Amino acid sequence: MDEKKAAILGEIPRLRRYARSLLRDRDSADDLVQDCLERALMRLDNWQTGESPRRWLFTIMHHLFIDQMRKVNRRGEAAMLPLEAGEAVAQPAEQLDGIASREIIDALQAISPDRRAALVMVAIEGFSYAEAANMLGVPAGTLMSRIARGREELRGLLDDTARRRAIRIVEK
Amino acid sequence: MIRRDFSERDIHMALDGELPPDERAAYDAWLDANPEMKARSARFTADREALRSAFAGVLDEPVPARLRKVVLGEAPVKAAVPRSRWWLAAAAAVLLATGGFGGYFAGIDGIAQEDPAEDRLAEQAIAAHVIYAAEKRHAVEVPASDKDHLQTWLSNRVGLKLVAPDLTANGFQLVGGRLLPAGDSKAAMLLYEDDKGERISLFVTAESVENAKGTYASAQDGPQAVYWLDKGYGCAVVGSLPREQLAVVAKNAYGQLLAGLAS
Repeated sequence: MDEKKAAILGEIPRLRRYARSLLRDRDSADDLVQDCLERALMRLDNWQTGESPRRWLFTIMHHLFIDQMRKVNRRGEAAMLPLEAGEAVAQPAEQLDGIASREIIDALQAISPDRRAALVMVAIEGFSYAEAANMLGVPAGTLMSRIARGREELRGLLDDTARRRAIRIVEK
Repeated sequence: MIRRDFSERDIHMALDGELPPDERAAYDAWLDANPEMKARSARFTADREALRSAFAGVLDEPVPARLRKVVLGEAPVKAAVPRSRWWLAAAAAVLLATGGFGGYFAGIDGIAQEDPAEDRLAEQAIAAHVIYAAEKRHAVEVPASDKDHLQTWLSNRVGLKLVAPDLTANGFQLVGGRLLPAGDSKAAMLLYEDDKGERISLFVTAESVENAKGTYASAQDGPQAVYWLDKGYGCAVVGSLPREQLAVVAKNAYGQLLAGLAS
């Protein structure tokens, strides 16, 4: 096995985590990773050797994700607001660690794809602002405002969920 | 120590490791002096920990064989599936956004006003088609074998007298139907299949208030919708057939639907 392929194989767990945070459903997320790997292998020459393929692969996957979201909905992020996190989900049950994780995963799915991607790249994947802005193809200022708004939105959704849970308990 | 004004923006920068090290002490002092900001910082930190731990397990999962095979060049010839399933997840998000939460959605900054009713109808119909026409065993809630019940049930729920068109002349048999959300109201979806397994669906809602007709495709290579809107109802026929063929089937279906509505 050549070095390039070995390096790409080593990135699969990270790519899967990023895809899972974007799409939630495991099979859908792995489909996205598969599309990304297929595209990457077709364009192996685009990867500067000597560098980690991580950023290159994340960039490919992110663009696949965003392009498709835009195609699905020409109106872009505005229409991507299934805001009732936790009730919007008609997905098969996943192996999740408890209510807290499920709630935050639901909330993350409910924020706009652009904000979700920005927040995840920095907060979960640990990329710097400069790296993330470069991969997402936006200016650093745009990245920062997406992160800030993403965090605010996430907080609001989690608060709503907690409030509803409290109301439900009271009603019992 | 550097003196400057800090703001909420610095909370994000500090959390993300982007605050210059020589500003850290001043920032910490600012936080201590601003309990509200300190609480916000603590909350964002806690949310980040929750996010990280929610997805931490993914790194420990074994890499699926199909992904290894792609990289190692052992992948079998790609299946003749037009698109990967993650597309469906994206389509589902649209369906949920435009359908399930129409009420909430319409309230946000007038976004709904920018969105012509016919586009909305066609997009809902296409999203539903992409999801359910791909389902082998769970495509419909009520099968064609129970056609009378299907028609009565959907008519009652949607609020229109719904007669499932007979499309055998076009080579399509009724598979069955299901009830779906459509904006503030409900829609009926009727699914048909030909002998090669090609599927088309009819999407009917009682919601529309304007007159329009046309064709619509949400993706370059995705299914198309032929739709009509009239006072009191909207109808879309969705499929991946060649455009002319879809138009012929749609016309037949629409004629029969209209006759049914008036019956």
